[in-house]
Amino acid sequence: MNRYRINQMRAAQTRAGLNRRQFLGRAGAFGGAVLLTPSLLAACGGDDEDPKGNGGDTEPGPTADPNKSTGDLLMSNWPLYIDPTEDGVTGSVDLFKKATGIDLTYNEDFNDNNEYFAAIQPDLANGKAIKPDIIAPTFWLVARLIELGWVEALPLDQIPNAANLLPSLQKPLWDPTGAYSLPWQSGMTGIAYNIDATGRELTSVEDLFDPEFKGKIGMLTEMRDTLGLVLLGLGKDPSTISFDDAADAFDKIEAAKNDGQIRQFTGNDYQDDLVAGNFAACVAWSGDVAQLALDTPSLRFVIPEEGGMQWSDCMVIPKGADSIKEAAAWMNYVYDPVNAARIAAYVTYNSPVAGVQDELRKNPDTVGLADSELMFPDEETLGRLKVFKALDEDEEAQFDDRFSSITTG
Amino acid sequence: MTTTARPRRRLGDLVLAGFSILVLFYLFMPIITIVAFSFNDPAGKFNLTWSGFTLANWSDPFAGGDLLDAMVYSIKIAVMASLVATVIGGLVALALSRYRFRGGALINLFLVLPLTTPEVVLGASLLNFFVAQDERILFFDVSRGFRTILVSHILFCVSFVAMTVKARVRGFDWSLEDAAMDLGAPPLRVFAKVTFPLIVPGILAAALLSFALSIDDYIITTMVRDVGGEPTFPLYIAGAFQREVSPQINVLSTLILIISVSLMASGSILGALRQRRSMA
Amino acid sequence: MAGGGEERNQRRGTWQPYAMLSPGMLWMALFFFAPMVILARYALSEPRDRFSGKYDLTWRFENFTEVFDRYGEQFLRSFRYSGIATLLCIALGYPLAYWIATRGGRYRNLLLGLVVVPFFTSYLVRTIAWTTLVGDEGPILGIAGALSLEGALDSIGITTNGGLLQTQTAVILGLTYNFLPFMVLPIYVSLEKIDFRLLDAAKDLYSSSRRAFWKVIFPLSLPGVFAGTLLTFIPASGDFVNAEFLGGPNNQMIGNVIQNEFFVQFDFASAAAISFILMFIITVGVLVYARIFGTDELSV
Repeated sequence: MNRYRINQMRAAQTRAGLNRRQFLGRAGAFGGAVLLTPSLLAACGGDDEDPKGNGGDTEPGPTADPNKSTGDLLMSNWPLYIDPTEDGVTGSVDLFKKATGIDLTYNEDFNDNNEYFAAIQPDLANGKAIKPDIIAPTFWLVARLIELGWVEALPLDQIPNAANLLPSLQKPLWDPTGAYSLPWQSGMTGIAYNIDATGRELTSVEDLFDPEFKGKIGMLTEMRDTLGLVLLGLGKDPSTISFDDAADAFDKIEAAKNDGQIRQFTGNDYQDDLVAGNFAACVAWSGDVAQLALDTPSLRFVIPEEGGMQWSDCMVIPKGADSIKEAAAWMNYVYDPVNAARIAAYVTYNSPVAGVQDELRKNPDTVGLADSELMFPDEETLGRLKVFKALDEDEEAQFDDRFSSITTG
Repeated sequence: MTTTARPRRRLGDLVLAGFSILVLFYLFMPIITIVAFSFNDPAGKFNLTWSGFTLANWSDPFAGGDLLDAMVYSIKIAVMASLVATVIGGLVALALSRYRFRGGALINLFLVLPLTTPEVVLGASLLNFFVAQDERILFFDVSRGFRTILVSHILFCVSFVAMTVKARVRGFDWSLEDAAMDLGAPPLRVFAKVTFPLIVPGILAAALLSFALSIDDYIITTMVRDVGGEPTFPLYIAGAFQREVSPQINVLSTLILIISVSLMASGSILGALRQRRSMA
Repeated sequence: MAGGGEERNQRRGTWQPYAMLSPGMLWMALFFFAPMVILARYALSEPRDRFSGKYDLTWRFENFTEVFDRYGEQFLRSFRYSGIATLLCIALGYPLAYWIATRGGRYRNLLLGLVVVPFFTSYLVRTIAWTTLVGDEGPILGIAGALSLEGALDSIGITTNGGLLQTQTAVILGLTYNFLPFMVLPIYVSLEKIDFRLLDAAKDLYSSSRRAFWKVIFPLSLPGVFAGTLLTFIPASGDFVNAEFLGGPNNQMIGNVIQNEFFVQFDFASAAAISFILMFIITVGVLVYARIFGTDELSV
């Protein structure tokens, strides 16, 4: 999934002739118009997460030696997913380095879950450590890595700020003991559209299948986003779906692909097609569209009335990493609400850290973001979001197989 | 030739020239786009639609240090890969064209195989090879990174080098060497004075081809690189396409174009001069 | 295949040729044949589970028949796309090479340079430039729109739903583009070797320059065409970059399937089986070809 942040924010702003406050104002205004509020109510909200249900789960496995330390730290994260460090002083990375003396290398080379997993699989499967000390895969890949035993248990006693994790994200489905992962950011999957191309507001998943937009529809190669949304459109619950129950949704996507309704399945690059006018509407991630709309005001984002998907990208420590102490220090740092707010203000996704909204409100530069529905969706919206079921290995193979037989048809 | 045929022939020439120029235009369409978009002032982070002229991107052609680092890394790999591939591939070509020996035909077949193997297959097989270790049949454990990229690039260049050099020296009269030796020249001297000058154009062409293949390789490199390691230029571009398409990519590409065209032009001018002098 | 007979004064080697061959052959043995053996092992194995990368060699030949059944369509599509692209390369490349060789005069090298120059920019950068050119708001459809050709283009299947990007036309266009120099250069080389006084002589014989061309020049340039065909068709049929950037979900080639099987499905057995089927088809084709025309023509 993608997480872009204003690339070279300052440059873009000057180019568009906006100062920061105007920019945030517009972002705020956009955020307000972003989420439709159809009549469905939060009542149906399937919260499978049981925030305080501590029930003594069996695990966690052996914690990595918490004193393993090298003085440096390498994190691989999604591109544009942190405030930039271009002046080398004021970015979160710079501030962390200065505060701790830890030599943090922050790489933005995590472009795709499958691709990244394919790259690390040969090493981890053979018991070799990979270079990065922290990576931030999407929740379902986190679950897979935990299941395979390819991640270290977090030294939580060195991360006191982990207590700031939002209750709804504690001990989540993908990490039932909460011992292995801490979310970096969460986000929502909905529909992005260009109102100039569609000529009307879109409200429903069904709009993606409207023959009027034939050949102008994009969907994501991230199966859980695309399939999840289509399942919701069919009135099914992606958080409890079985392979057999998903057959209708697969058939629907396949038929739309075969007759040319769907133009392309993309990764992050759906934004290229959306901005270039090749897509009229597509499955999209919440944080991107706010940003793109600054330059292309006709872009809209909606959580369809049938519901939307929710996901998290989580920090984990790959097995065999040798900078455990440093990794803990960094995690602790980004879970401080002040630092988390600085990052959140740039990425416009949903911060997993409690207190971020208050921090944003304190700062006149970011106060506009504190009320963004995109960053802080209300209860009603949250009630309509689903997290895709945690598939076991065999089930996942079935789903992946069917889905990629459609996308590589 | 009859008088009536002449105008028709001229017309034919015109059609041929017009068609050829159109084909050249086709070849240059993306290049024109790349150069033009280096002057684009993109509305957002994707430099894919035209939205206004600016010189700003050129104010600092080497802005975006990562991009430049990737380029330098690619050049480093390409130089080393083409050097090694040219030497070992050139030796194979010389052996094949200079000697008659048992197994020559089989070697020719071996050389063709990497060329008929799709890149994605070659890359995947190399990846599996590099990560297979101790428990397997292999004694070679290389962790992925600079070395594995280099080794793979050399591999796919060797066949191209051998084929190119072989074609260039085909029909070369090896008895010239004998003549030189008969005149009392020691073998090394013969190689330096007789053989090498004759094969040098083929060697040069092969080295250039290898360099071009290596610096542009994406498919194989993406599989034999290390996670979290430095990206080569094509890897960087592929990553960038996922998040932002910056005009700096166009600026750097245009620069590379200008540099290579001027190198080529000066090369051909030098060649022309030398030719004129030798004729005089 | 080496056309040994052509070589004048080849020496009979004792140890020297083997010494000269050894570095290259060692490299190939280690980094081509050994990896291929591992791949072959996968093609005949069954996975223990999905992600561990542990496979048991069970000599399971069904891997081959299964993937052939499953991906027959993509195989055919790949060969169709690369076949059309190769033909287009000949149609575009031959006249260009002929023009440069016969009418280039002292600008020959410059013109040849112009053929190569576009390829000094990165493959990916060029392909991304193509996405701009063929995009819905791009210049090509803009011109077609100005000439009111959209309907016509759609009805003859050049565009799909009025779009060009993410169609088979765009994929074939990209393949043709990227491999065109590999066609032009060998054709040029073989044309350059021809003594064009032959053409004058032939004109006396056949009285029409068209007949003279087809009877004399074209046959002599065929080695170049054949070499170009190999250099274009082989990489094009295994390519996946063009289909990925320029194609849609209905235009994926066998290269994309291999990529997907390896790196999304982690089904190394299937991926390896597909790889070997593809290599087998290509290699057999090349050997048949080489039998007829000689492998030396494989190089520029």
